[in-house]
Amino acid sequence: MYRLVAILMVLLMGNVFADKHADHSNLGEEASSIKASGKIFHTDGLDVIRKMHPDFLNHKRDKTLREGVRTKEGSLKGCVNCHAIKDKKTNQYHPVNDKDQFCSTCHQQVSVSVDCFSCHRTTPRKGTK
Amino acid sequence: MSKTLNRRDFIKTSSATTVGVATIVSGITLTTFAANANENPVTNEKRWGMLIDTNKLTEVEIDGMVSACQQENGWGSEVHSTGDQKPTWVRKLKVQDKATGKITSLPLMCQHCEEPPCVDVCPTNASMKREDGIVLVDKHLCIGCRYCMMACPYDARSFVHEDLTDQREHMPRGKGTVESCTLCVHKVDNGESPACVASVNSDAVIFGDLYDPKSNINQTLKKVQSAQIRADLDLNTGVRYSGI
Repeated sequence: MYRLVAILMVLLMGNVFADKHADHSNLGEEASSIKASGKIFHTDGLDVIRKMHPDFLNHKRDKTLREGVRTKEGSLKGCVNCHAIKDKKTNQYHPVNDKDQFCSTCHQQVSVSVDCFSCHRTTPRKGTK
Repeated sequence: MSKTLNRRDFIKTSSATTVGVATIVSGITLTTFAANANENPVTNEKRWGMLIDTNKLTEVEIDGMVSACQQENGWGSEVHSTGDQKPTWVRKLKVQDKATGKITSLPLMCQHCEEPPCVDVCPTNASMKREDGIVLVDKHLCIGCRYCMMACPYDARSFVHEDLTDQREHMPRGKGTVESCTLCVHKVDNGESPACVASVNSDAVIFGDLYDPKSNINQTLKKVQSAQIRADLDLNTGVRYSGI
């Protein structure tokens, strides 16, 4: 029994460390600062947003376009604004759908193409609002 | 606690309860009114419209309206499209009276019809009319068949022929979809006027709720002679013109 518990503990510790050492370099500037401040933006939990974000976005797009509901919740604009990274040399934002950027890391791995950005802006706001 | 309830106690308890309930109810009402308009779906109690006075509007102002639209919505800098392929959300049009030869210039954009032919012909429901009368293209559903472009009597719609980048944050645009004047729906939802209306300093172009008797547009339409372009089609347009 103790052996089992020990194995379980080791496995759990592994998870903890894995999360600690996971690469969050492309999390995005605003998202990183929220994470650093200890606040939680996705209050439903990361599992939910990771799995359900296509549904949230689809639901919101219909609400916004067809019904004029323009809340921040589930807004693609919000995703881009928070999760984009600025290049330190050029001081320009990397498009979120570029290789190894926030959207692409998972989408590359699971081989699912993103169609949002053939129309939507890929970097945070600029010029006229 | 077998005490019987006497008259005085009964009045005390009941009045306390009434005050409590009243407080809660007023709280609820206050929150409902305090909610941002953007949180609720638009309704058909409003109908957005525009009145353009061609006598007051100068050609320079019309050009200004076109460039304000380009600036706001990010169209007009397509490099690979040629001639008719170029998107045009609003254009300057010159009409001539055959008898007198008088030339009138007017800006022509989507007329936001009450009975839009573009919505009738759309096979995917992408072409749609919002409850408040604004006609839009849902580019998520648009397959680029361009039936709506053929159906529109005002030639108000354009097709995007090339890959685009650096779109405006509030105005997604992409290759293979149809687009047109949105009446700056993103601004209207925030209580502002469309960019073209804001670019004109005089009252030559008025924007507002056609149904609201207190609105400037409603009151002006009651006073002045105005026309709909191709009124014979019975589309009941939201954009009206006076002076033509």
